[in-house]
Amino acid sequence: MSRLSKLAVNAEGFVFDPDFGDVFTVNPTGLSILDGMRNNKPAGVIAEELKQKYGVTLDEVEKDIFDFNSQLRLHRLT
Amino acid sequence: MKNECIVGISGINAVDNPGPGVGLARALRDDRQLNVKIVGLAYDAMEPGIYLDWLIDKSFILPYPSSGKDAFIQRLAYIKQSYGLDFIFPSLDSELPLYAGYCGEIEKLGIRLFVPEPEQLRLRDKERLPETAKKIGIDSPGTKVVRSYLELPGAIKQTGLPVMVKGAMCSAFKAHTGKEAADFFSKIVSQWGYPVILQEVVKGDEMNVVGVGDGQGGLIGQVGIKKMWITSLGKIWTGVTVKNRPMLRAAETFVREYRWKGPFELECIVDGDTVYLIEINPRFPAWSYFAAGVGVNLPANTVRRAFGLPYAGNNDYEAGKLYIRYTYETITGLDAFQDITIKGEN
Repeated sequence: MSRLSKLAVNAEGFVFDPDFGDVFTVNPTGLSILDGMRNNKPAGVIAEELKQKYGVTLDEVEKDIFDFNSQLRLHRLT
Repeated sequence: MKNECIVGISGINAVDNPGPGVGLARALRDDRQLNVKIVGLAYDAMEPGIYLDWLIDKSFILPYPSSGKDAFIQRLAYIKQSYGLDFIFPSLDSELPLYAGYCGEIEKLGIRLFVPEPEQLRLRDKERLPETAKKIGIDSPGTKVVRSYLELPGAIKQTGLPVMVKGAMCSAFKAHTGKEAADFFSKIVSQWGYPVILQEVVKGDEMNVVGVGDGQGGLIGQVGIKKMWITSLGKIWTGVTVKNRPMLRAAETFVREYRWKGPFELECIVDGDTVYLIEINPRFPAWSYFAAGVGVNLPANTVRRAFGLPYAGNNDYEAGKLYIRYTYETITGLDAFQDITIKGEN
């Protein structure tokens, strides 16, 4: 089971890692990306969904997803 | 439990560096089916547990273990005879060699114990830590045992700076310079004597496991936690339950490999997939009530096991439960203080 799938995530963006006891908060965009990743959606699908949801360009959401992924790697969650 | 069971608990010094006793008493009280009376075994009239009469029914002053086993055992015999004493949880490092070494003599008084064998107790020696860590499949920080002041500079050269300077049984300080290390070294030697242990500083999260081994290779239960906030003395103030599999697996292996009997605490630093063993404590830690609070009542289950009573086999707990220590005051008359000072019991 990946660390990402073990995370306890609530609707307000509070995230708890049961293996390491770390606590994170994510904003609504981050929560949408995290939900998508935890549901094994391809990055392209997550980007398209975000684009529709927030009415922004594909370039912008791709940058957000890239930044979010960097944060996950920094915290060794992926 | 049909008949009353009188349980003695030491370490009722609920102070800034708290002993485990008051938490153990709370855990035992939480098991409503256990018909227990609790006896506080104190070494000083000022130990707060003596005055917490909603948790501890009666307290006695014991002679220090360093005064010899005869005086100590005579005192236990007196308590057994005058008030009753069926079981003891020794909770302090300094008294464990005595309880482990003279377990047979104490049990002949009709007082049961659930403590490690003297050989098992030696596993806590910090100089044996690397060997133990290897046997249970985890890592340990680089460790040097220093037996004289002359050896200190060479040892620092090998471990590097910063370095943890530790007494063989108690005390640990982080030194950032050679001068600081020398000062801590002298402080530890004057208080605890030789050897002094130098331990490489490793990075990661401070996580601990509390558990109880049944003496046959099985676990009576275990709970893993992460320290979120500590005091200036390094004691936990806020923590959270975790299910870090490599650390919990190491605790299971520890109990199986050494057929550990009794309570234990493994202090670890966890850095990703690497778990470092920092210390083994052969007793309950001061935060043991945390385990009872999340449904794994280790003290009550230990008493149950010792008396052949059934106990919960399912020791699962939820990750993400918080532990918050807080301060509290109690006000009482002078009577209890007078009694414990003059008669050695209240």
